[in-house]
Amino acid sequence: MRNCPKVSGSLRVPSACVAFFINHRAFQAIFRFMARLSAWCCLVTANGVCLLLCLTAHGEDDITPEQLEFFEKKIRPVLVEHCYECHAAGAKIIQAGLRIDYRAGLLKGGDSGASIVPSEPENSGILKALRYEDTEMPPKGKLADSIIADFEAWIAMGAPDPRVIDELPTARVINLDEGRKFWAFQPVADPQPPSVHNESWPLDPVDRFILAKQEEAGIQPVVDADRYTWLRRVSLDLTGLPPTHTEIDAFIRDNSPHACATVVNRLLDSRAYGERWARHWLDLTGYADMIGTSNSVFAEHAWRYRDYLIDAFSNDKPFDRFVREQIAGDLMEASTPREKANNITATGFLMLGDVEIVEPDKPKMETDHIDTQVSKIGTAFLGMTLGCVRCHDHKFDPIGVDDYYGIAGMLRSSPSTHKIPFGVWSTLNATELPETPEQLDERKKLEEEHTGKIASWKAEQTKLNDEKKAIVAQIAKLEKASADEKAAATSTASQPNGEETKNPPKGSEKEPEDKLTKKEGDADVHGTGNASAPLESLTKQKDELTEKLKKLDTEIRHAEFFSSKVPKAFAMHDGEMPVDMPVYIRGNPYAPGKIVRRGALRVASWKDFPEIPSGQSGRLQLANWVADAKNPLTARVTVNRIWQKLFGEGLVRSIDYFGVRGEVPIHPELLDHLATRFMKNGWSQKNLIRSLVLSRTYRLSSANPKDVGTMGDPDNRLLWRMNRQRLDAEAIRDSILAVSGELRESYGGPALVLEVVENTGDLVQKGVNPPNYNHRKSRPSQEFERTVYLPVMRTGFTNDDRVRTFFDFVNPAQIAGQRNQTVVPTQSLFLMNNDLFRKRAKSLVDQLLAGSSSHDERLEQLWVRVLGRPITAVERQEASSFLEEAKSLIASEKKASVESLAWIELCHSLMSSNHFVFRF
Amino acid sequence: MINNCIPNRRQCLQHAACGFGALALHDMLHAADKASGARALDFSPRAKRVIFLFMAGGPSQMDLFDPKEYISGKHGEAIDSPLDRNVTQVGTEKFLALGAMAPVKPRGQSGMMISDLMPNLAEIADDICLLRGMNADNPQHASAENQFHTGSFTEVRPSMGSWISYGLGSENQNLPSFITIHPKSVRTYGSAFLPAIHQGTALTIPLDSKSSPIANLKNASINEAVQHKRLDLTRRMNERLLDELHGDTNMEGMIQNMELAFRMQTETPNLVDVSKESEETLKMYGVGGKETDKNARACLLARKLSESGVRFVQVTMDGWDHHGDVRGNLPKLCNQTDQPVAALIKDLKHRGMLEDTLVLWSGEFGRTPWSQDLSGTAPIDKHGREHQPQSFCAWMAGGGIKQGFTYGETDHMGFKVINGKVHIHDLHATMLHLLGLDHTRLTWRNVGRDFRLTDVYGSVVKEILS
Repeated sequence: MRNCPKVSGSLRVPSACVAFFINHRAFQAIFRFMARLSAWCCLVTANGVCLLLCLTAHGEDDITPEQLEFFEKKIRPVLVEHCYECHAAGAKIIQAGLRIDYRAGLLKGGDSGASIVPSEPENSGILKALRYEDTEMPPKGKLADSIIADFEAWIAMGAPDPRVIDELPTARVINLDEGRKFWAFQPVADPQPPSVHNESWPLDPVDRFILAKQEEAGIQPVVDADRYTWLRRVSLDLTGLPPTHTEIDAFIRDNSPHACATVVNRLLDSRAYGERWARHWLDLTGYADMIGTSNSVFAEHAWRYRDYLIDAFSNDKPFDRFVREQIAGDLMEASTPREKANNITATGFLMLGDVEIVEPDKPKMETDHIDTQVSKIGTAFLGMTLGCVRCHDHKFDPIGVDDYYGIAGMLRSSPSTHKIPFGVWSTLNATELPETPEQLDERKKLEEEHTGKIASWKAEQTKLNDEKKAIVAQIAKLEKASADEKAAATSTASQPNGEETKNPPKGSEKEPEDKLTKKEGDADVHGTGNASAPLESLTKQKDELTEKLKKLDTEIRHAEFFSSKVPKAFAMHDGEMPVDMPVYIRGNPYAPGKIVRRGALRVASWKDFPEIPSGQSGRLQLANWVADAKNPLTARVTVNRIWQKLFGEGLVRSIDYFGVRGEVPIHPELLDHLATRFMKNGWSQKNLIRSLVLSRTYRLSSANPKDVGTMGDPDNRLLWRMNRQRLDAEAIRDSILAVSGELRESYGGPALVLEVVENTGDLVQKGVNPPNYNHRKSRPSQEFERTVYLPVMRTGFTNDDRVRTFFDFVNPAQIAGQRNQTVVPTQSLFLMNNDLFRKRAKSLVDQLLAGSSSHDERLEQLWVRVLGRPITAVERQEASSFLEEAKSLIASEKKASVESLAWIELCHSLMSSNHFVFRF
Repeated sequence: MINNCIPNRRQCLQHAACGFGALALHDMLHAADKASGARALDFSPRAKRVIFLFMAGGPSQMDLFDPKEYISGKHGEAIDSPLDRNVTQVGTEKFLALGAMAPVKPRGQSGMMISDLMPNLAEIADDICLLRGMNADNPQHASAENQFHTGSFTEVRPSMGSWISYGLGSENQNLPSFITIHPKSVRTYGSAFLPAIHQGTALTIPLDSKSSPIANLKNASINEAVQHKRLDLTRRMNERLLDELHGDTNMEGMIQNMELAFRMQTETPNLVDVSKESEETLKMYGVGGKETDKNARACLLARKLSESGVRFVQVTMDGWDHHGDVRGNLPKLCNQTDQPVAALIKDLKHRGMLEDTLVLWSGEFGRTPWSQDLSGTAPIDKHGREHQPQSFCAWMAGGGIKQGFTYGETDHMGFKVINGKVHIHDLHATMLHLLGLDHTRLTWRNVGRDFRLTDVYGSVVKEILS
């Protein structure tokens, strides 16, 4: 039915054509949605959608002169004035794929169907839009009723229209065979390392690829970095921490040829390595300890995914296996409860983005979340920007809506949120994790303790309530007595009979409390009677009890809210009825188009996507496709990410985007060599990292030669020296803690301090708004834990970890594999004045001065600990005179600890210097 | 990925060689240096800078600017819901009309409709342009705030202040070109993929001696002389390293920023100190007033910053989210904001700055004509209003904007815009236009695509240009 020939003659629209027009509701929905969706829409064409074209036009000949006049006078001017800006040739953007500057365009309509059904005004979308019935066109304001009536009349007469001249806008057709010719979609090759002139230089095949290009360009690599520099570099890159004094000594003294390898193995075996590289991965997940941005709703299980990652990287989980777990871990076989739990937790990858769970339009919320998931899979594993394709075929890359909705269908078959029973909110689905018998015992014990705690609090509550009741009674009694006394006094004065004894006030014991409170106030004001002293003390006791009870009540409510200790993770699971999904026209769930088969990116596929067994979402098949050694993207993208972390820039510099508008690899052969080697070595990241950091290229000094201008490669694209990098936010804070000796080992666990009552909002299970989190109190250990363990809030950070605010931490709603390295003044203020430096410097100085060493030895120690290298003669002199000057400036103010304060200043200076803040 | 946007670093190094702090200490308030990083303008600009008064939470336009007889007539009675079926609201099940709470009357020569709740704004009705057909797409605070500030409510995008800083460059080398006073979420002033020099600097009005206007502004050393020595030592070490490496742009930037940061430390307290303003000015803004003090100081500071060449100053005034008891709460917010806001316009006008300063007043959305009652039991006069992005009111004033002009019209109940619709994208396009920037040409290439503040949307609202 595609490309129906133009039909001339005065035919009415055949019913078969009408049947294809997408219902009117969808048409309206698109207009509405166009404005709402801020996707990567570019020029809109009529591609892919509604290609059925049956011209049923009045030809020019069939129009009567009266009709022509009507059109020219009443219709055309309106179209030109109000519609052409967006819906005609020459418009900057043809909105909604709709062109109305020729008859066929009006009949064909936009993305979802006809604008005009001749002779049927009530079925013509354009009329509904003009009437502002849901869709509102023109957007700037409703046209006069008389104009709308003209349109109605015009359509009723068959919409006579002489404008038959134009051609249909041509759609860009994705040509997969052409597309596959692009380097990134070509199969990964295994090129031989090239031969080089300087055979003595390379240590690893990697170096041959690098040197060959340099020799070709006539460029000489610089000299190797000194041993201190290399050690600090490799320590920071692999673990995010500088080497310790002991580690430095050990390495410097190690004269064996394996000294470097020994260091690298030690670093790779450390948990710090897992912590560092897990954090790199988190940048690709949108991870935060909050679910969405609104109301700080806590994601209490998110930390399990972070801990899972740290284990996975520490244990060097083969990356292909890792990929499968991220997408479909819940569907994979597992031999132990622990493995099963890990697999389930791994799918947190797809859960933990920014989900706007307060969105009242649930289909839209679901579609937005699926979009995050598809984009994440595209960016993290494939280096492709799939977000664009939600609305239209990719503008540059050979990826069409069929590809997008092929993946989206799998995710839509795996629901990841559900609505909470009250109000408009949803929440992320969580799965209970299987436990080992030991874990189960442990949990039971915990729960018992917890229940015990609640019970004892409740007992306490009863006891306090009883006490309070007694006191209230006593107060009442006293007050009554005092009132009686007064009354007696007055009545004795006026009524000697003293009748009041027969009419005592009603027993106040049963009076509601607020009434009592008022009485107390009164009593305080004119509490002059004899009873006032005991009354005051009783009232005080009562107030204290009220306060205690209030606190207890909050604690009990808090404890009951968190009484379940069942381990859970935010995780994917297949829904009940996995199905293929329709293309959502312009990404709008209310405008479904044709159904597409679930599958993966066709351009990167080497065979047809496997059949998805019924009842399955297809995630497992997708996971296998991504992790297949034949996939041209996964291994390339991954080794490029690793390269970037170690060398500062990727071999493909646009590390998240390998498409046609991305950067072309500078060393395509090296990229393929690494990808092949990676896969051959069982997708082991540690193996790859080990080879890279032991290469000659990694050893190079980062210093420019004096005449860098003459190198012909000022951007260092050929890697003739090491790139310098500013430490990222985590490395800055962690390194400061490390050099002050205060860094505390952590084995993970919840980041949010939910156990502290002050940090949780109203814990009402049935509230309209879900309970939220407000980080008022940290756990004492958090001050000394690595930054990866601190809570990640979507709305900003709290005092103690502001370092992330200033030093380019990736906003958790963003998916980005490479941090920026910005230079802004607020960073300098941080370095100059933040408490972090003062506290850690003080601690370090305390240790330094407590040692019995001499002034010179202290300086030496300070330099090695903070900067990882010996102090130079110039620095020694400079530091000594600084200390003297500082002491004299401090002495005038504070005698007691002048020495210590001067050293703190010196230490702070080192910690905030570029020597410390950069790795070079 | 290295974004070093510090200009004149060579110059800086020559200076720095003379010792820390040797860079001339410009008077921060009047050092309107040559614009740096500015692009060639697309049109001749009508405004040079923007002050955005952000009424976070969503002010009730029906009570303030756009009352409806239909609603007032049916006050407390059930009306038909115009909402889509798929939209859920809580507490609006009864769908009761909630009439405007105070008289909204014609003001000035123009007869612009303004509520009695804003007597000061009413006085300057002829200076502003009221937009009654504002339109946004998302009914949730966080999303709507993101859309209002960045054009997008899903993706992380640069804030409009960042785009404007990027488009126009800085007018004052000593101050950030985008300052945001009392901001909410970081995403509303983030620069996303634009260079970080364009991100907003958050500023707090120090209402007590403990609070610091900018984070880490307080000298950590025991006295300034020691700190100066320390910074001098750091600088010397940094210089030496730079020499050894034969240059590094980022490190040079860090050295220069340390100088700038030190100047910020010494100068910002003076900058935020409003005590040198005349008694008359302070009184006009409401500085010292019980209700008005905080916003008065913020608005006054906004003027001072604008005067000093800051391109984009935002003042956030939070608290307009009146889901309950709008009749009790709205007057409070008006009392806190009306005088300072109107004073800002008067002050700018008095100083001849209104001509080339663009002022925008808006919330992220408006509120419904029908009532909301989460308790389900409150009497109608204690009800509030739910969020409404479909239509709401904003106003603009200053450079290139018509004065005393009301644009836009809503339907009989004040739900849908029927005339003069201004979508957020249109608002952004118009603001850029007034600043001399074509919103379709102000782009930044990121992962293969050229991004804009207006994405692929937006058209300039020519009807409101003077």
